[in-house]
Amino acid sequence: MSSIVVEAKHTEIKEHFGLLFQAFEQSLNGQSAQPLHLIRQSALKRFSEELDFPTRRDEAWKYTSVNRLLQGRYELGNAADISAAAIQPFVPPFAEKHLLVFVNGIYQEQLSQIGSLENGVVVASLKNALQHPDNQEKISPYLQEMAHSANIFKVLNAAFLEQGSFVYVPKHTRLDRPVVVLHISTNATAAAFINHSNFLLMDIGSEATVVEGFFSLYDGDRADFTNINTVAALQRNARLTHCRLQYENEQAFIVQNNSAQQGGDSVLTSIQVDLGASLVRNNLSAHLLQSNTETHLYGIYFGKGTQHIDNHTFIDHAPAHCQSNELYKGILADSARGVFNGQVMVRKDAQKTNAFQQNSTLLASEKAIMDAKPQLEIFADDVRCSHGATIGQLDEQAVFYLRTRGLGEEQARSLLQHAFLFEVLEKMEDDVIRNWIEGFINQKFEA
Amino acid sequence: MLHINNLKVSVNEKTILNGIDLHVNPGEVHAIMGPNGSGKSTLANVLAGREDYEIEGGSIFFDGKDLLEMEVDERAHAGIFLAFQYPVEIPGVSNATFLKSIVNAVRKANDQPELNAPQLLKLLREKIDLLGMDQKLLQRSLNEGFSGGEKKRNEMLQMALLEPRLGILDETDSGLDIDALRIVADAVNQLRSPERSFIVVTHYQRLLNYIVPDVVHVLYNGRIVKSGDKSLALLLEEKGYDWVKEEANAIAQ
Repeated sequence: MSSIVVEAKHTEIKEHFGLLFQAFEQSLNGQSAQPLHLIRQSALKRFSEELDFPTRRDEAWKYTSVNRLLQGRYELGNAADISAAAIQPFVPPFAEKHLLVFVNGIYQEQLSQIGSLENGVVVASLKNALQHPDNQEKISPYLQEMAHSANIFKVLNAAFLEQGSFVYVPKHTRLDRPVVVLHISTNATAAAFINHSNFLLMDIGSEATVVEGFFSLYDGDRADFTNINTVAALQRNARLTHCRLQYENEQAFIVQNNSAQQGGDSVLTSIQVDLGASLVRNNLSAHLLQSNTETHLYGIYFGKGTQHIDNHTFIDHAPAHCQSNELYKGILADSARGVFNGQVMVRKDAQKTNAFQQNSTLLASEKAIMDAKPQLEIFADDVRCSHGATIGQLDEQAVFYLRTRGLGEEQARSLLQHAFLFEVLEKMEDDVIRNWIEGFINQKFEA
Repeated sequence: MLHINNLKVSVNEKTILNGIDLHVNPGEVHAIMGPNGSGKSTLANVLAGREDYEIEGGSIFFDGKDLLEMEVDERAHAGIFLAFQYPVEIPGVSNATFLKSIVNAVRKANDQPELNAPQLLKLLREKIDLLGMDQKLLQRSLNEGFSGGEKKRNEMLQMALLEPRLGILDETDSGLDIDALRIVADAVNQLRSPERSFIVVTHYQRLLNYIVPDVVHVLYNGRIVKSGDKSLALLLEEKGYDWVKEEANAIAQ
């Protein structure tokens, strides 16, 4: 009986997205004749007719319900007129060259800047980049994949594809400064549906760092739904550092699908920091296509109140001699909930795989809940794989030790919690980016 | 300075300290010796305020204040310092940052102006030189991966920085080689003054060759069964603890 009710609800929200799609199509003016738009339309069709939103009966969503998210009646995000001064607190010091600013999901040319680029490099908003057939062609295979995915959020992302960022770094080229993508949500009358798509395309031997920041400039009760899809494609020997810091309003819903494909000898470093939002679901996957790749997935989560933060990661070791290294740490206070599911697949031919995974959570309250599930599936016989998951409280011995040195109880606990998260930050090579992230973590401690 | 009267302490309903009387005057060094399990470490930890123990009876007054009513950090502010037998390793907390923060925490609690960064650095350098420590230990995480000797030296550095009224050394000498032992002893000797007292908890007489005590107490079955001057320590070294145990058992019967 209850399942029928759930499905009926899903029908309603799907119809709602259908209406949003009509409005979206109208806003595209003329561009709806492009081949790209046929993909959007087929994605919407698949979204409406072939797929269902996950429920807690789905193993991958056992601990995370999207019901609240599906009750929202969203409008397409409207760009609000905000000043450069208003966003200043969120602009990182390393954004002096390339900065793409999105307000309520809409690209803001006047707040953004793109510094001089070497020959062939593209750093642009997705909408601008897609004016060029070359760029359309570059994303086409990935977009097809999104549109045909079994993941309803990816398909939804493909249907509404327009806003986002596009980075292409050609062969043997290095972006000397990070690309910063800043998202700001502001006061609005209705909850917004924000669809954001990133394409980070790294050609052979290229190098880049992309840093995303998601922040809110309002305190109200509005619950936006942000649906992010990131495609990171690393050709042979490419190096990409992708860092995302999210400190949104505590009502927000966020779903992020982030899939990376790694050619031989490539190095991917991902840093995911979730401090805000009501509900966060991150699906990160790295598909290793050729041998000798390195994949580093680092995550920090810090929930208070009734925040719910779910990190699902999947590393697919298909070829031999690849290394993956994963460290996720978080603090859950009050009645916050966390989920970590780390799947590592080591296929039959993936000999000499070196896969390490660790997830540790500090529960700072008796009501906080963490569900951790390391999931190693190993089909090769000559591999080194390890995983660990710990959920616990602060070491009382350490608290006592610090207090005997004159630190107050609160100060001692806070110092130890900082240190706990610092283990992840320490992995970051760039101290300027690390300091920027640390500043927001400190704000969260004080919040 | 420190007055312990008839202190009874238990843990999980097992009596560990069974009526301790101990009086330490300013400037004195008291050694507490005794066989394993006699309650030496418990006494040291109770003074510092560890909460795992049940105080069944008795009192502890420190500079006229009821120590048992004070929080762990308040005791540190009042001038009690416990050098741990097993200093805790805390990854992610830089030793330098930690050392600076404890100096200011104690100053702040005592209404003294906090030191600024250059002043802290100067103080830190001064104490490090005093102890002949390696500066590199500052750059590392607090006690993380430190050798036994490095940990104990870091304890002495903290003591030197906080300049306590009463330093309690809980088996600081165990597991140290002679060189490390000398460094610990030198640190204590440097800090000895007419206002500052020490309680040196040790299983071995060896440390007392370097830190010469004013009084030696032998703890057995939760009581101080014998007190004397430094010659008592030598006697224990020579004859072991059995004769003390026998005497104590005879009296108990």
